[in-house]
Amino acid sequence: MSRFILTRLALLVPTLLGVLMVTFLLLYVAPGDPVQAMVGERADAETLARLRAELRLDDPLYRQFGHYVGGVIRGDLGTSYITRRPIVNDLLERFPATLRLAGAAMLFAAVIGISVGIYGAWRPGTWTDRVATFVAYLGISFPVYWVGLILILVFAVHLRWLPPSGSANPVYLILPAITLGMRSIAFLSRMTRAAMQEVLQSDFIRTARAKGLSQSRVVLSHGFRNALLPVVTVLGLDFGSYLTGSILTETIFSWPGVGRYVLTAIDKRDLPAIQGSILFLSLVFVLVNLLTDLLYARVDPRVAYD
Amino acid sequence: MRRILLTTALVLSACGDQGSDGTLNYYFSYDPRSLDPALSTDVPTGEVVSLLFDNLTQFDADAQLKPGLARSWETDAAGRTYTFHLRQDATFHDGRPIKAQDVRASMLRALAPGSTGGRNWPLYPIQGARSYSAGEGKEVPGIVVRGDSTLILTLEEPLNVFPKLLAMPVAAIVPTPTPSDFDQRPIGSGPWKFVSWSHDDAIVLTKNEGYWGGAPKADSLRIRIIPEPLTQAAEYEAGQLSVVEVPLGETRRWEQGHANELQRRPGLKDLYVAINTTRGPLKDVRVRRALNHAVDVPTLLATVMSDRGVLAAGAVPPGILGYDSTRAPYGYDPAKARQLLSEAGHPNGFSIRLWRTQRAELARLAQSIQQNLAEVGIRAEIVERDASSARAAVRNGEADLFLTDWWADYPDPENFNYPLFHSRNKGPGGNYAFLSNASLDSMILRARATTDEAEKGRLSREIDARVFDLAPWIFLWFPVDVWASQRDVQGWRFPLVFTGQRWMEAERTR
Repeated sequence: MSRFILTRLALLVPTLLGVLMVTFLLLYVAPGDPVQAMVGERADAETLARLRAELRLDDPLYRQFGHYVGGVIRGDLGTSYITRRPIVNDLLERFPATLRLAGAAMLFAAVIGISVGIYGAWRPGTWTDRVATFVAYLGISFPVYWVGLILILVFAVHLRWLPPSGSANPVYLILPAITLGMRSIAFLSRMTRAAMQEVLQSDFIRTARAKGLSQSRVVLSHGFRNALLPVVTVLGLDFGSYLTGSILTETIFSWPGVGRYVLTAIDKRDLPAIQGSILFLSLVFVLVNLLTDLLYARVDPRVAYD
Repeated sequence: MRRILLTTALVLSACGDQGSDGTLNYYFSYDPRSLDPALSTDVPTGEVVSLLFDNLTQFDADAQLKPGLARSWETDAAGRTYTFHLRQDATFHDGRPIKAQDVRASMLRALAPGSTGGRNWPLYPIQGARSYSAGEGKEVPGIVVRGDSTLILTLEEPLNVFPKLLAMPVAAIVPTPTPSDFDQRPIGSGPWKFVSWSHDDAIVLTKNEGYWGGAPKADSLRIRIIPEPLTQAAEYEAGQLSVVEVPLGETRRWEQGHANELQRRPGLKDLYVAINTTRGPLKDVRVRRALNHAVDVPTLLATVMSDRGVLAAGAVPPGILGYDSTRAPYGYDPAKARQLLSEAGHPNGFSIRLWRTQRAELARLAQSIQQNLAEVGIRAEIVERDASSARAAVRNGEADLFLTDWWADYPDPENFNYPLFHSRNKGPGGNYAFLSNASLDSMILRARATTDEAEKGRLSREIDARVFDLAPWIFLWFPVDVWASQRDVQGWRFPLVFTGQRWMEAERTR
């Protein structure tokens, strides 16, 4: 097991180097000019040239790249062109907010999605199952943007039960977590339902029932345990994408996370901030995937990594 | 069960409370770049700098120039040397008195090479400032300190608008030397003191009890960062924001539902299509006039912009010296447009590219303009880019037409005529039409230099008439701003220039 972890961690280096190179080249060829974005209106050619030189944008590509990689190896993701703050600090300041939101969304989605899925498999075809299936489809079909605004309108503006946006205390998590988790509820419930249905047909379930175990024991302890593998896959993938790509939810709910930071950086052509964010988020994504793989082994003893 | 639900709802509502009656709640659409005046290139930074710091001069909400740290000033007969007399009762938030030497040090700090501010132009008129900023000089000879309370600024050339430039955020006075975290925890001298800044979330300020101009009426000001306009509106409707700009698409609904809360007035802004006067058929003034006749501006204003604008017949908006309300716009006249195109040798029209940024309200506008142009035979392809890419392309002269707007930084015809139409400012300077006209240039420079206000008014009117005649833009309208303020908020007006509202009089009355 430890060898597996070490190998996977070692593979991180070429993966991140690849990400770094592709990002660097893409940003280099992309249109737009960070200096133009920095100066606002009313600039002059001399100021633009001076800033370009100060930011080393006139250096040849290989030198810029070398300079950047050198910094990354020393753990320095550079300084934002716009804010003049170290990018590592900016990311570390915002990541806890993203983690809170992703965690809450995942928890919400797991509890609801898995419960609905188990119920659907246990009592297929009932009206509750049908309604749950329909709601799951809605969850997949409605865009995050629309769901978020409707939730704000209903629960914050009309009912005034919840704050519209912001992050002052845990109550502020409720609406964005629901918005972000909607899609996962849909996937998780469908995935759980399908996997459970398959498992509930197995011989060992029949045996468990024959032993005289209670229905809930059969479904939860014997059935669900064996249906967990695909569910863990969905949880891992969705959690990874929530940690790296909840830009829309963060924007609608004024949530001060990494997603908005990336968006602002792209908007301002803040090259080091974009590169640093992508590198950081790639690292997070790869680590979440690794954790998911390790969870497989915990969930299913047949999976072994040696 | 009902009781549990009710209790939960009450607890949740209490959690959503945004502060006591002494707190006012404002917002920015994005996080300021920094709280350091030297880095104030964006609007949120400029606004918060104007709350935390003082300048020699300042604007009120109606964009009137007022004394700031300078209680008075005078200029020599030529209009080239300005002498400022500083008030002696002003102190920084840490208690240090503000002296003329601090003003000089603040200006040198903003101008210092390597400051990467990029928006030093308000200080460039000072003799030697530009070369100092470029690292070519060790001193700025145009800044001379006389004692603790007199500052003499000599300019490269006479410039009547100079006192207004000193109200810009980059010219704010800071206590030097500044600590290393100054951009995060600033010490100013303004009506509000810094409390906290949580990035992308909120900035909290508290009133400066010892402010020379009297303390603000409210105890604290909380500035939230809320990027989405519809969320901003929802925050206001939920009672969490003291004021809000009414989203464009929501204008009609708010006019009915919030009639008593609305403030409506023309901003010092232009919405226009810049015509690159150096490209293909657009070099011909007849073609540019034809474009103006081809676009049905009144219909666009009513349908796309909910009538939030005043039709433009020039670039200088109402309320600015030089605005001429008697001049009629070009007017929608497709037949005349076709005739002008024929006279210019394009009876079958031509193909052209109309650039725009991704701002949602510009999308429908660009499509309508495209359709209008098609009706007179001009085939316009819409090029949509993010703001940075579009700006870079337009400034490099790669765009035929560019749908954009211009907001005045300070209330003066110079803020329109010089950046937007003087040949010195082609491209990055703001002259996206790349207009280059010697007689116009000369008039603009004379209007900048004269010390005679009547002469300046006459010249500004002439300049605007000449610009209208040369048609470097498709003149659309001067946007009208619509803001709402809560019924319990008194003493707040939305400002005509972005630094004009310092929240001194605003308070909650309930």
